[in-house]
Amino acid sequence: MHRGVGLAAFDKEQLSQRFAELSSELSKTQVDNLQSQLTQFRTALSHFATTHRDSIRRDPAFRHAFQQMCSSIGVDPLAGPRKGGWWAEMLGMGDWQYELGVQIVDVCVSTRERNGGVIEMGELVRMVSKLRGVESGVVTEEDVTRSIKTLQPLGAGYEVLDVGGGKKMVRSVVKELDADQAVILAEAQVEGGRIVEATLENRRGWTRERARAALENMLLRDGLCWLDSQDEHYGRAYWVPSAMRWDE
Amino acid sequence: MALSTHTTPSGFLLPSIHSAPPFFTEQPNQNTQAHLTEQWIRLILTYARHKRLFVLRVDDAEVPGGDWDEILRNERINRRIPPSYLSSLMASMIAKNLAVYEPSKQTRAVLLYWRLPEEWADVLHSWATATGQLNTILTFYEISDPPIPSPLSGIPIPLLRRAITILSRSNRAQIIGVADGEGVRFFIG
Repeated sequence: MHRGVGLAAFDKEQLSQRFAELSSELSKTQVDNLQSQLTQFRTALSHFATTHRDSIRRDPAFRHAFQQMCSSIGVDPLAGPRKGGWWAEMLGMGDWQYELGVQIVDVCVSTRERNGGVIEMGELVRMVSKLRGVESGVVTEEDVTRSIKTLQPLGAGYEVLDVGGGKKMVRSVVKELDADQAVILAEAQVEGGRIVEATLENRRGWTRERARAALENMLLRDGLCWLDSQDEHYGRAYWVPSAMRWDE
Repeated sequence: MALSTHTTPSGFLLPSIHSAPPFFTEQPNQNTQAHLTEQWIRLILTYARHKRLFVLRVDDAEVPGGDWDEILRNERINRRIPPSYLSSLMASMIAKNLAVYEPSKQTRAVLLYWRLPEEWADVLHSWATATGQLNTILTFYEISDPPIPSPLSGIPIPLLRRAITILSRSNRAQIIGVADGEGVRFFIG
């Protein structure tokens, strides 16, 4: 392209320089504006948080609504102190969440011998509530799921598994559950923990060999189920302790 | 189906695990079995203490109607412990020093230590002191079947002998031969 030489070219350069100045001035105003908006927002939100702090901690429905609101605007009120110390301080939620995390670990570890490291979500919530000495409904599934996420950096393998049928299990051992095992965990819920090969054949269309192999693996290799050799109908039944309801 | 605790006719509170059908099957997974063995041993010993039972036999799992039916069977879920399982639980208890084969050289009956012999020794000495029977000669029979019920009522002679042997090591008792068998004299501890 031909480039002008002479005065006209000089003018052009000056002009673009001025445009650049103007543009940076504009964006600076925008940033300032945004910053002040953000400050205002922060103040408002923190005002809200402190005013409703008690409700947030006490009322699960309110807590849920607050968390929904926060997530829709892209803030995580429960991010750890490293990321959001301000939030933790404002709400005292950081402690609450970590405390819950410790109690989740407590329940998972103390029941591991019994259930092989997989516990049903409802059962976990029930036992954590019992540990805290609070009535049911105060600690929700959502709270537990959130706490388990905060445990992730520990690398202990805590994970929430969806086994289908609206049932969730919490795994506390570093062990991969294969797809067949997830199906078995879900089916075992139906009969209060009892599962036989025939159930998997009839309801899932598995072959007997597949059902047997999966069940035997869970029994022998993983310790995720117990054997009952006195079953009235089949002689040999498997019981998944994490799907059994324990009243203690 | 919820697994819940249950109070037996004799007033013993069964743990909820006792209503789980697989509790009555010996488990092929070692970790699982180790956990369940502990549960069974605790159950056996607390029940023995509750009913003051000192002896457990493989027969108790084979023949109904014995002292142990309330825990070795669960009619509500139609389960019972197989004799072979009970036999291996007995072996575990012996390995943990919570029981001994009595008589020795057989494996079908055990003497249970819901109190260890050391603990029985203390109970025995406290009883002799409290009832003013130091320095007098008592027959084993007078201890195991006293006119006034005592914490030692019904104690099997082999267990009593072990407890006395422990006391005699610290010079708190001395075994003495008496006309109709064995006797003991307690000394101030």
